[in-house]
Amino acid sequence: MILVAGGIADKVTELVCSRLDACGYPYCHLDLGRYPFGYGMSAQWNHGALSGYFSGPDWRLDMQGISGAYIRFLGQEGRIAPPDLPEAQVRELQLEADTALMFVLDDLPCAVINRLGGGMSNNSKPYQLLLIAKAGLLVPPSLVTNDPQAARAFIARHGKVIYKSTSGIRSVVRPMGDDQMARLTLLRNGPAQFQAFVPGDNVRVHTVGDRLFATRIRSEAIDYRYAGRDGMAVDMEPADLPPTIAEACRRIGRDLGLLHVGIDLKETPDGQWYCFEVNPCPGFIYYERHTGQPISLAIAELLHTGGAVQPRPCQTPAPSSGRREHAAPGPA
Amino acid sequence: MHLVLGYPNDSCCTAVAARFEALGLSVCRLDAAFAEPARFSLDIDATGRATATLALAEDRVEQVESVLVRSSGAIDPAGWDAADHAYMQAETQAAALAWLAALDCPVVNGANAELWYRPRKPLLYWRSLLNACGIRVPDILITSNAADLQRFRAKLEAAGVPGAICRSLARHEDWLVGLDDWTGVAALQRYAPVCLAEPHATVTLLCIVGNTVIWDAEPLPAASALSEKLVQFARCANLGFVEIAVAEVRTGLAVVHVDPVPMLEHFSSAASIRIVDALTDLLAGQAHERRKEMVS
Repeated sequence: MILVAGGIADKVTELVCSRLDACGYPYCHLDLGRYPFGYGMSAQWNHGALSGYFSGPDWRLDMQGISGAYIRFLGQEGRIAPPDLPEAQVRELQLEADTALMFVLDDLPCAVINRLGGGMSNNSKPYQLLLIAKAGLLVPPSLVTNDPQAARAFIARHGKVIYKSTSGIRSVVRPMGDDQMARLTLLRNGPAQFQAFVPGDNVRVHTVGDRLFATRIRSEAIDYRYAGRDGMAVDMEPADLPPTIAEACRRIGRDLGLLHVGIDLKETPDGQWYCFEVNPCPGFIYYERHTGQPISLAIAELLHTGGAVQPRPCQTPAPSSGRREHAAPGPA
Repeated sequence: MHLVLGYPNDSCCTAVAARFEALGLSVCRLDAAFAEPARFSLDIDATGRATATLALAEDRVEQVESVLVRSSGAIDPAGWDAADHAYMQAETQAAALAWLAALDCPVVNGANAELWYRPRKPLLYWRSLLNACGIRVPDILITSNAADLQRFRAKLEAAGVPGAICRSLARHEDWLVGLDDWTGVAALQRYAPVCLAEPHATVTLLCIVGNTVIWDAEPLPAASALSEKLVQFARCANLGFVEIAVAEVRTGLAVVHVDPVPMLEHFSSAASIRIVDALTDLLAGQAHERRKEMVS
């Protein structure tokens, strides 16, 4: 049996549920839009082993009988609560219940997409770059600084440079221009991240266990996610990865303890592959709908079979120890 | 130069900085990384080779020999719009984590994203690693089921334990549940799962600094025998500096609390001095070893 924990209004969760239905794989849906109200959970750790169950309006699921769990936590917006409770109490109950659920889900003895811990590196993009490089991929030359002089030197060294957020807070990637150069003195108020512009096609890779789905995105926009806003087109098609790049993508997922990630790559005109980011909670629906790549089917199959179960890592890997050789692009 | 990053009123930062100075070693104490007047930079090349630098004065890059990290740094909200402050706080913390991870010198506690963003974890987080190191933890139950709650209570009462600990996993607060409190716990449970833990006897505190275990008071032989396993736990958790509380539970001696940000205030003055000495020795010693490696 499969556990899906996510909001019923979340399109990605909805797609995973639809795919499980289509495959005939039984699952129970814990609606995080309503949880904890109307749902139950009991978990106990005896001699190191977790036992217990989840329950919903018309179901009860033993934790030992779960082959896979798919989780997408929600923000605070749109959550439903009993009308008889004051909002402050509701928030507190939801916070406490969510935290308890996170600990239990992280400890489930089955395939979990995804355990939370492995995704924490996404809150610091440069920290994640260090992990990505350790997994064997090239990364864009980057500078994080609160020193205007260092920023000017970096920009002079690399020519075309973009800037983007350092943290997990989403930002639109923008090129450095005269307006931004004039504002560099504001760096004294806090740091920013600068990256050498890497030309080429964006390639988004979704991992599902050891399976990979690579999508090539062709767009003139610097940040293709916002191409429409800038009046530019986006074309997508399935892509092949050189074996060494493919293996490095699998390695990143394994190193982070994440069964399903979205990896942002770029292939330069001279055949170099750069990795920009690893998304631990990818909204793959955009790519699946444009290309027909069976990402949700792969997720459904992994959840059903249990895949190669990854136990909860006690610690995520530290980026500073040992560095692997970098993957040279091989034949496509 | 040895760098101490932490809150201005943190007694551990103050004591370690003073100890470095007493040893005649150069030390710099900062409230946060990437904050004025210091200039921090992290330069990462295409292969991931990183250079982390710190300049305290114009045109002078410091040679950072070790770092003691006590907090991820908080930006003073004065003068900031609330949304801008939240953004800049996130940006600064993200930059600092990467900068620390890129340093080629001892960093205590080493940069780790999970602990950086949520340093104070409930015992539940450490449970599996403690168990793997052969260390017991108290029974823990998370439940929204009234019958399971009753069973947990009955099990404890049958063993002569009159109450339980009700734990907030989000707020890191514990309440003792006495005979009169079970009704309140049951009322809470009607809306959301509650976390209950088996109560424990009086705690004995200890601090692990590198491979050294510093007990707050003379430990009982059973507690002392646990030292090796505790050091193994700290090593596996990549914690060079950690505060741990041990106490008797029904089944024997257990770890009941783990804190990767030890507070000197929890310890006797004699133990605090030993902790600060050990911590300074660890940072300076590792820095010395690192220098020797680089020379050879």
